[in-house]
Amino acid sequence: MSVHVDQEPTTSVPVPVPALEVRGLVKHYPGVKALDGVDLVVRQHEVLGLAGENGAGKSTLLKALVGLVRPDAGEIYVRGEPVKLRSVVEAANHGIGMVFQEQSLVPNLTAAENIVLGSEGIAVRRGLYRWNAMRRLAQEQLDKIGSSIDPLARTDTLSFADRQMVEIAKVLRIEERSQHPPVIILDEPTSVLESKEIETLFEQIRRLREFASVVFVSHRLDEVLDVCDRVTVLRGGQSVGEVATAGAVPGELHRMMIGSSGSDDHYHGNAAAPVLAEQPRLSVRGLSGKSFRDVDLDVAAGEIVAIVGVHGSGREDVCRALFGAEPTTAGEILMDGKKLELPGTRAACAAGIGYVPAERKTEGMVGPMSVAENMTLTKQKARCSGPLVAPKKQATLVDSWISRLSIRTPGRDTAIQRLSGGNQQKVVLARWLVGGDIKLLLLDHPTRGLDIGARSEVYRLMRELAGSGVATVLLADSLEEAIGMADRILVMNDGRVAAEVACPNGGKPSPLDLVKEMV
Amino acid sequence: MSTPVTTKPAAAPATVKGGPGPAQRLTSYMPLIALAVLLAALTIADPEFLTQRSLTAASRTAAPLIVLAAGATLVVLCGGIDLSIAALASVSTVFLALWLPELGALATPAVILVAAAIGALQGVAHVLLRIPSFIVTLGGMSIFSAVALVVSDAGTVRVVDDSTIAWLDLYVGGYVPMSLTVAVIVVVLISVVLKVTPLHSWISATGYSESAARLAGTPVDLVKIGAFCVSGACAGLAAVMLVSRQFSGSPTMADNLLLPAVAAIVVGGTAITGGHGSVWRSLAGALVVTLLRVGLPIVGVPSAYEQILYGAIIVAAVALTLDRSKVLIIK
Repeated sequence: MSVHVDQEPTTSVPVPVPALEVRGLVKHYPGVKALDGVDLVVRQHEVLGLAGENGAGKSTLLKALVGLVRPDAGEIYVRGEPVKLRSVVEAANHGIGMVFQEQSLVPNLTAAENIVLGSEGIAVRRGLYRWNAMRRLAQEQLDKIGSSIDPLARTDTLSFADRQMVEIAKVLRIEERSQHPPVIILDEPTSVLESKEIETLFEQIRRLREFASVVFVSHRLDEVLDVCDRVTVLRGGQSVGEVATAGAVPGELHRMMIGSSGSDDHYHGNAAAPVLAEQPRLSVRGLSGKSFRDVDLDVAAGEIVAIVGVHGSGREDVCRALFGAEPTTAGEILMDGKKLELPGTRAACAAGIGYVPAERKTEGMVGPMSVAENMTLTKQKARCSGPLVAPKKQATLVDSWISRLSIRTPGRDTAIQRLSGGNQQKVVLARWLVGGDIKLLLLDHPTRGLDIGARSEVYRLMRELAGSGVATVLLADSLEEAIGMADRILVMNDGRVAAEVACPNGGKPSPLDLVKEMV
Repeated sequence: MSTPVTTKPAAAPATVKGGPGPAQRLTSYMPLIALAVLLAALTIADPEFLTQRSLTAASRTAAPLIVLAAGATLVVLCGGIDLSIAALASVSTVFLALWLPELGALATPAVILVAAAIGALQGVAHVLLRIPSFIVTLGGMSIFSAVALVVSDAGTVRVVDDSTIAWLDLYVGGYVPMSLTVAVIVVVLISVVLKVTPLHSWISATGYSESAARLAGTPVDLVKIGAFCVSGACAGLAAVMLVSRQFSGSPTMADNLLLPAVAAIVVGGTAITGGHGSVWRSLAGALVVTLLRVGLPIVGVPSAYEQILYGAIIVAAVALTLDRSKVLIIK
């Protein structure tokens, strides 16, 4: 395997100008640097893989390439010419097109209509569809990729794989706008496909290489290595390396994705190993639902159990099911040995379960409401006497938590959306603590979008809560975080628990031990 | 508090971005400004307007509108809309007129209770069957109008003995109409109950972000059903006010109050997308709408133009108050 960073091979033949080049791209979001000077080179007629963990900056980079995100600094070059991409149309004019992760086809239109939608060209004359011209146009596009899909089939009657083909056929229409070979970006095209369909897609991608450059993104590293010529690895908004795929193995790639430092020290406070009682606080047996089957899970008081798995492993749904926010079809949940029925989120709250959702802005907090209202939203009793809100009790309670968690806010009546991400997250966490009856915390990516300082504060808080006897289920943002924080790790794969790995202080597993169970 | 949590204070200062700007502050006082401007304009157009007699008459007209708007405001705050209020009030006038002879003084609470129950039923349909409130109440509107026509034999039901509801037609201190007093009491009551109980948090959370409210364990479904129930009860109360003034019930009596009521809510500045707003705003909005209504003839506009005005007000008020940055797709 050859790892070389930004080094063009020196040959006597002049190197053709890259189809697409990105230099020093920077993008800030409030409280987080999504792109921190990323570099990328897409050569002509190659399939370039893009790998990186969640939050490495992949989606932001892709969005910048198709004009959906405007970078704060840095340049994009198309065939050596600097360009500004301000919209999808401008990107298409430069020959850059993207097949989106969420399928962007209109289900109740025919494949042909979808292919011409948005750039109808000769398919429309005097405001009217010319069906024959449209079908011809669509057929031409489908022929390019050698697909035998009937252009007059309704899109919702097609399989996922065929829809993917239609998307590619549609995206290839940008060829009409530019005389040069296009750059086609495929964002996680395999996530909804069966393995046989994936093989067809890969053949397709190899065929695309004949007349286009392809950027391929997938969470599954074996796929990336299978179909790509070269892989660029992103970490923390920067490109950390390039790998020629010939002879490379997923493990090496993964090590680059997570960095060589392994599990970082700042995760550990001065935490002692949890004292495990005989009876686990949470005990889950055979839990099944829409996207997970037969999940067994025990969490003792004071223990942090992380669940890791790739996108689509079902771990998010397990977490929501434990909070009564996702229906289950079988299995039972025991709290302190007692069977728990969770028809909805209120039952879970009453049982002392707290949930911090991954989408803080839309699900975790109510933006325009005050810090105090957000903090007391669940445990109303903590601020009320009888049925009435007691303003003094509320003020004392909220202020005490603001200072205990050192939440930086002008005051308790400030709208929570005006705080920084880390402080918002602390308010959301405090919501479950103000009642003083929290037994089990479900943390779904609690550090997503937070900067380093805010992250370590959340880590310290988690440690302290565990120290006080709260059982924690953690869906970590990265393997590194899971290994650093957890006492035990469950690996989920395709809706099932694939492995359980002890993760004590001083005996932490390496990310690679986990990765081999994940894929 | 059994959870001992202490975190060392960090050095970084509090990061706070964008509070309400001057433009936002101005829009939050919009209904009061509109009210003052209208009063001034009407006084200039007709110096006779600012007399006790015409103000009393105007406030009598305003009372049912205030009550209707106040109730429906709760539904809007939850992020829904209640289009059935006027039709429900109409059918309630018929019920009241029919029940007064037999039930006497009990007819009033009976009508309000029935209207509240019907409102709650719509809420249950909205929540359990997961139908948009707009559709549920549009259907309700049609059903209630038809029921009113059927039970009234498509005609006006006269009230012979109105002794038990005549008190609503009296004047407090000789000047202030009793109906207006009751309407203001309703607004105060709703607003105080919201203020001193967790209900305000629950309703706002539901309106601003239902998924966040649900994941915080807020009783979202109950809150919504409750809002529809209060909206129904208010429609019943508005019906009592209308009957006490007209000495009859009719299957279309309140129908022309739907648009003014919605106008009152949006002119008051309550966000049609839910969350932001208050019943006080709707009270001010209802007064603005009423002034426009009585003012049009004064400045010489035929009252046939009224509906054009309501339509325009609703669109304009929402255009001014809708925060489009929060709504990605406008349906």
